[in-house]
Amino acid sequence: MADRQSKTKSADEPRPMDIPEPKFNWMNQSRQWGTRVTAGKKGLTLDKTNIGIYGEVPQRWGDQGRNPRGAIPVKGALPIGYSVTEKTELWADCAAELYEEAIQRRWAPATDVPWASIQALPNDVEVAICQVCTEILQYANVDIEVLTNWQHRMSYGYHEVKQFLATASLDAARRYEAFRKRALINGGGLGLEPTGQANRFLLESRGGWTETVAGLALIRTLFLITMCEYLYKHAYNDAERVIYSYVIQDVARLLTYGLEHLKFSLAHDEERKGSVGTMIAIGLGMFARDLRDPVLREALAIVFAGGIAGARKEGMSIYFDLMEEFRDRHIAMRRWLDLPADAATMPRAFRPRDQG
Amino acid sequence: MVSTLRFPSIEWLKAVREVFNSTDSYRGAGSGRCDCIVGLKVNGAVYILEFEGFGCTSVDKATESDLANADFYLDMPYDLWRSMLANISDNGHAVGEFTLNTLDLGIEEGIAHSKHEDQYRQDLFVRYNQTMQFFFDASHRIKTAFEEPTPR
Repeated sequence: MADRQSKTKSADEPRPMDIPEPKFNWMNQSRQWGTRVTAGKKGLTLDKTNIGIYGEVPQRWGDQGRNPRGAIPVKGALPIGYSVTEKTELWADCAAELYEEAIQRRWAPATDVPWASIQALPNDVEVAICQVCTEILQYANVDIEVLTNWQHRMSYGYHEVKQFLATASLDAARRYEAFRKRALINGGGLGLEPTGQANRFLLESRGGWTETVAGLALIRTLFLITMCEYLYKHAYNDAERVIYSYVIQDVARLLTYGLEHLKFSLAHDEERKGSVGTMIAIGLGMFARDLRDPVLREALAIVFAGGIAGARKEGMSIYFDLMEEFRDRHIAMRRWLDLPADAATMPRAFRPRDQG
Repeated sequence: MVSTLRFPSIEWLKAVREVFNSTDSYRGAGSGRCDCIVGLKVNGAVYILEFEGFGCTSVDKATESDLANADFYLDMPYDLWRSMLANISDNGHAVGEFTLNTLDLGIEEGIAHSKHEDQYRQDLFVRYNQTMQFFFDASHRIKTAFEEPTPR
């Protein structure tokens, strides 16, 4: 019996594997060994890793794989098909800094917003706030889609930009979260989906990332910042003030990236001014068409005036101020970028008090 | 005994800096690391504040030409500075019309300016707005005396 058991066990035992003698020939394979990055005053930030070959940011990144910059690429891999491969197409010197800033200055809507400060509001005001929230929610959805839709086309040679844009996507997701919570916390709910021609214009922009950035930064992002500043001024409670002020800072990073990228790109490729200018003109036209729809305009006027009663005069006057503020900032930024800028040629939506 | 400090003065700014640097809540959500050089222009006097990491590392008396080194500088009529600080003192932080954001919208040319016309540097006012707000909010712990209004 004991013999039989012993025999069975022996038959079930796996045969010893024939393990080849390890060669470890993958070791000692590095384009630059012995690298020691050092932390600075701000800690070990992303830009501090840019030393030696790891800091070489080429004018063109021809590698069509996911090769991390500085690694030895795999040979014979199928090309992935990145289309944004030139530095002038996506670069901004501040990208690494903005990435660190986004991580460092993070916030959480669940716990950092004093939700208990929201009290019951007159129905017309609550409806208007919820409509504004609905508009901003859709802006956030579009931002996420636009950013992520371009990210996967960008070469890994420019990881600083890809990483910053990942935080910008998260910022948009957080924006979505915060405004959704605001819309649903006080007995209201979401309103009408916006018409969104400017959204389609951003989503369907295929000409280039630089051109898309022009629309995203100089129109959508700048308008959102300006609108949030006015909403902050006319907020009804601390929760709204916190949301608006934190969102302004988040979105300002995307605007900063956009401006820096446009400055860089146009400095290296002057001919691009034409396509960027065209993109801005089309974008403003689309946005002006959206603004013909009265929903956002009326909702903002009600919020600014504290109700329907004052919306027509006081509320609309503040709305006009908002549009003029946006226009003036837009013009100033175009001039800084050395792009043609003339308020008189902008659609009437941005010149609400002009006669004729 | 808490002494009264005059605004604007280097002593007042140093006292505010101390409160700002030692208050944990000013480092939390919405704020955080901040690296920039900020000018203040108050009633003809100029100051330069340097922010680095979580704190304000220096405050110095300066001249008009030094503002060229600031990423941005804040300038508004003295009455508004005074009203803003009184509002902060009354509430523990700025409310209503007296937050930096709202003051910036309320004045036609805004309160944040730059000498260099570098949009990137001037935009730091927006990116670090909450940190700037926290800095001035810290003044609620300082007993402040104001200059007499300038005769008109």
